[in-house]
Amino acid sequence: MTSDQIKREMKKAIRKANLEINPEVKPYIDAYEGTFSQVLKENCRVAVEKGMPLCQDTGLLEFFCWKGRELILDRTLQDILDEAVAEVYTAEPFRYSSVADPLFDRKNRMNDTPAMVHLFETEGDGLKIRFLVKGGGSENLSRLYMMTPSSTPEEIQNKIVEHIGEAGARSCPPLKVGVGLGGTSEKAMLLSKMALTESVHSHHADERYATLERETKEAINALQVGFQGLGTGMTCYSVRIMDCATHIATLPLAISVDCYICRTGEVIFENG
Amino acid sequence: MDDKNDIISYEAGTQINYTGEIIIMRDAAQKRLLEYFSRTGQLPLDLKNKIIFYAGPAKTPEGETIGAIGPTTSQRMDKFLDLLFQNGVIGTVGKGKRTETAVQACSEHKTCYFLTPSGAAASLSSRVKSHEVILFEDLQSEAIQRITVEDFPLVVAIDAEGKTIWEK
Repeated sequence: MTSDQIKREMKKAIRKANLEINPEVKPYIDAYEGTFSQVLKENCRVAVEKGMPLCQDTGLLEFFCWKGRELILDRTLQDILDEAVAEVYTAEPFRYSSVADPLFDRKNRMNDTPAMVHLFETEGDGLKIRFLVKGGGSENLSRLYMMTPSSTPEEIQNKIVEHIGEAGARSCPPLKVGVGLGGTSEKAMLLSKMALTESVHSHHADERYATLERETKEAINALQVGFQGLGTGMTCYSVRIMDCATHIATLPLAISVDCYICRTGEVIFENG
Repeated sequence: MDDKNDIISYEAGTQINYTGEIIIMRDAAQKRLLEYFSRTGQLPLDLKNKIIFYAGPAKTPEGETIGAIGPTTSQRMDKFLDLLFQNGVIGTVGKGKRTETAVQACSEHKTCYFLTPSGAAASLSSRVKSHEVILFEDLQSEAIQRITVEDFPLVVAIDAEGKTIWEK
């Protein structure tokens, strides 16, 4: 595999994620009958027909890359993915949503870079890349809480439900909720993002965490925030927890959410 | 809904298909307007009887009137509401709940806040019949823009009496 092959496949996947509704969430949209339901259904059709993105907020791109330690490329994955994003966003009728300098200038970079790249080393010579097309509305709901080591599962659940109850309507529900537990503060945030790349039907392998996922999802749905925050239909597609060992004095709890169109993708490149 | 009297009559929860003019602006443009107003006591454009849509459309594809368009989070714009209402704005359009201060401001000035569907940007673009950038072109998608729309789906979320769809 070459850098250019990787770029080519990633460009296809990034374009598709912006135009074609995620097949995992389409049945939920099809089943929704409340306010604006016709427009939401029509949108999935029109986006493909017109080659227009499902949402005008075509986001920042977050990549999670598992790269075999024997895989040698002629440039960095950051460079390859920056090129992929810039080329797709320049060619397609998407929105340039990145601004250079977050505080003073906020000048549009006119290519939607930089790609937010997270790199993990694995055995072998393969490469797996998962990504999120992450809009600003859902990103603004990211939270980190440094809970205490003696916190109970109920307290963890309540914290998540309280946050979604207060802010969930701003983030285009139904939501996919990613939770990072343990590690350090930044590790928990990263885990919560990686949890958003998992299927809405997946569960934690440990039954205790899987139960917490299920019960938290039910509690969020009981809030009845609903599609578009309008009170009907589901509020939460799934809650997915990813955990990590942590310090004796800490229990980081990170929450990330994805909006109802869940623009994600995965590309696997077999051996070099 | 073409004049102020019509708008005042809609109650929270009412669904409307709006046809008419809308002015688009969001974070960056309103920040500039506020700076301009603080300095000069006036605005560089006339907002009397206008409806403001918090949005930043995607690029316009070849042969289309406008690109994908949809609402951004209104709560971030609450701090600019006084500026808009002082200058004659009669309605705002966006997504999500607003602060209690915003609800009070809407009711005090007898204006409505409307929701329009988010994540429906390809579909909404087909309801836009004209589009022009009118100010701050350098802000790109965040420039102030004028559109005319046909059958644009809205729900009254805060009405002119200060009632909201979120009160249970």
